[in-house]
Amino acid sequence: MDTVVNQTENQFFSSKKNVSETKGKFFIGITQLAVILIIAILFIILGIIVYQGRTKFSWEFISSFPTNGMTEGGIFPALIGTFILVIVMSIAAVPFGTITALYLTEYAGENSKFAAAVRFSVRTLAVVPSIIFGLFGLGFFIQFIGAGADTVLNDGQLRWGQPNILWASLTMSLLTLPVIIVSVEEALKTIPREMREASLALGATKWQTIRKVILPESVSGIMTGTILAVSRGAGEVAPILFTGAAYYLATLPGSLSDQFMNLGYHIYIMSTQSSDVEKTMPIQFATTLVLLILTLSLNVVAVIIRARIRRKAK
Amino acid sequence: MKDIKIKVNDLSLYYGEKKALNEITMEIPANKVTALIGPSGCGKSTFLRCINRMNDLIPNVSIKGEMLVEGIDIYNKNVDVVNIRKKIGMVFQKSNPFPKSIYENIAYGPRINGIKDKTQLDEIVETSLRQAAIWDELKDRLDDSALGLSGGQQQRLCIGRTLAVSPDIILMDEPASALDPISTSKIEELIHQLKEQYTIIIVTHNMQQAARTSDQTAFFYMGNLIEMGKTNSIFTNPVQKQTEDYITGRFG
Amino acid sequence: MTSHFEIELEKLKGIIEKIGQLAESQVSESVKILLQEPGVAEEKIIKKTESKIDKLDVKIDEICQSIFALQQPVASDLRFIMSAMQISNEIERIGDLSLSIVKKAKNIKEKHDLIVKFSVGDITKQVELITAKTNNYFLTRQESTIGEIFVLSKEIKNKSEGTIHEIINEMKTNSKAVVSGTNLIIVLKHLERISEHCTNIAEYVYFMVNAKIIKHDKIDDILPRE
Repeated sequence: MDTVVNQTENQFFSSKKNVSETKGKFFIGITQLAVILIIAILFIILGIIVYQGRTKFSWEFISSFPTNGMTEGGIFPALIGTFILVIVMSIAAVPFGTITALYLTEYAGENSKFAAAVRFSVRTLAVVPSIIFGLFGLGFFIQFIGAGADTVLNDGQLRWGQPNILWASLTMSLLTLPVIIVSVEEALKTIPREMREASLALGATKWQTIRKVILPESVSGIMTGTILAVSRGAGEVAPILFTGAAYYLATLPGSLSDQFMNLGYHIYIMSTQSSDVEKTMPIQFATTLVLLILTLSLNVVAVIIRARIRRKAK
Repeated sequence: MKDIKIKVNDLSLYYGEKKALNEITMEIPANKVTALIGPSGCGKSTFLRCINRMNDLIPNVSIKGEMLVEGIDIYNKNVDVVNIRKKIGMVFQKSNPFPKSIYENIAYGPRINGIKDKTQLDEIVETSLRQAAIWDELKDRLDDSALGLSGGQQQRLCIGRTLAVSPDIILMDEPASALDPISTSKIEELIHQLKEQYTIIIVTHNMQQAARTSDQTAFFYMGNLIEMGKTNSIFTNPVQKQTEDYITGRFG
Repeated sequence: MTSHFEIELEKLKGIIEKIGQLAESQVSESVKILLQEPGVAEEKIIKKTESKIDKLDVKIDEICQSIFALQQPVASDLRFIMSAMQISNEIERIGDLSLSIVKKAKNIKEKHDLIVKFSVGDITKQVELITAKTNNYFLTRQESTIGEIFVLSKEIKNKSEGTIHEIINEMKTNSKAVVSGTNLIIVLKHLERISEHCTNIAEYVYFMVNAKIIKHDKIDDILPRE
């Protein structure tokens, strides 16, 4: 009698176990498939770009001007333009973002409604489509501030009221601001409360504490944010479309009021508006390769720095 | 008559609506070690943090009553909290050196007080580390990171850092709770030496530590000050039954 | 670096040394009074020393209590404090007995003759010796001393019992001698007790040093075999 009961129980349990095991295996399979798919897509994209761009990709390609109606030559001005863009953008966005993050973590109370509103705004800003930033830049920076400045400073002569590096960089900085704010905030949060208390207990003011303890400790966080913002800014095209990117320039930009060439924009026009799209295909792929290397390596650096911060926080 | 350093009159503290300290009245003598003991959540640490207004950092805290340090109510609106904290140093439960060099850790306080002269700073660093009984161990590695020190050394460094701003009063929040017995006894011996110059108030979970180190002991329970008196009499003949139950381990 | 706890222990040790010396001199003073004609001044000294001993005894108790309550002594420190309390207790008893000897001695008539007759002087010499040795044992902790103390104590006991027997015989034949004889017996018993307290102290010192409780053991078990 006993053995019979035991047997049925065993069967009952084993059959149930089988069901859950199969289910488990099924889901593990799906997740593995998804991972493989993503990696595969990445490698296919990278593979095509590297394969197609390899013939053109060289030091000469990077360091020379485009020639012959942009069907030959290099991408030097686009690369330089991109650099100038991200540098000016960082100069504007990093201090602004850092200060905002400092306000949110150090000054705003835990229950501050204003801080909650700021956080909500930052999050919203992060999901606004980039073309909207472009349009905003055109309307606000160029037509409102730029044109206004021209009226006041240049007697209506056109100088700032047109697309240029400054407005494009500022527009881009608005786009990347959330990245910086979030990164710095995260870094600030990893600084233990004891560190702040130690400083305050020694009779330091809040500002002294921030300047001498908090900021030095969050440098790597600020760096991560900057690098991520730069890699984002280097790849975006939409915000600079109306605010400063040029189709072709024979010279490098000389001042902030000049227009500039840009890698992303260069790829865009080469593949849509070139006189001979087929012929310039290798140039397009090589340019894409340069852009990818740029953004990927920046991201890797950011990941490394971030991992270091996390390790330190433990 | 003994010299009273801190006089507390009917001090109550609220976290929002919740009363965490209930009309505490006590006198803390100068140049003595006063231990605050009691079970977790009894309010002893909260009370300690009232003395240098560290509770200011916590939102929704409100305080009633007086905390007179040398006759001045530190919760008076005209009193600058920064000056209070320079006069009343604090050593924390978890040793918290700055991620800077040993030298910079000690020099931090003097620097924010505007001392820039290198020789003067050198002098302060040496005297503070000597007072913290750690100079001999560290004098050859002042430029090393403070984070590389052992837990006990870090804690003594933190004590030295507190001494560097030359406070009158030193608050210690379970300063040895994370340390091994040897480091603990070093800290305890240090406390004993420091009381000649400073008034020390120490919060500890460890009753034996309170017994060993302090001259006065105050027993807190559920936000109330149950009993305060000479450590010797608290530990040999407490007046209140609750105190007796607590120190004999028959609590609850 | 000597910790403040060690300083406190040293202080306690000093007080015990002092009370030990007081007891030693107390014994020899009272023996002097016993053997010679008592002078008032000397009895005063005895009483003064007695109150000193009592005060120190209380002080030792207080220090020990506070060390127990505040310092949680362990190992050799613990044994030292435990012994200190007991030793001071024994010493205080020795002081009491010395005072009592002086009082009883007053009631002995023709004391000089009796003392010579029963050679009490031999016993008192040995009692003085044993107190000195006990003091020495505490100070030097020399282990051979404890054997000497036990041997002395046994000799004192035997001698005193023999003498008491003789005194009783004397009292049986000479009824005039009863009062003096009884008092002399009490004095002898006191001297015997003093030597027993000395062996007790020696036992506590032994416990303090060797962490071994030897109360109630036979002497031969403790003494190193030859």
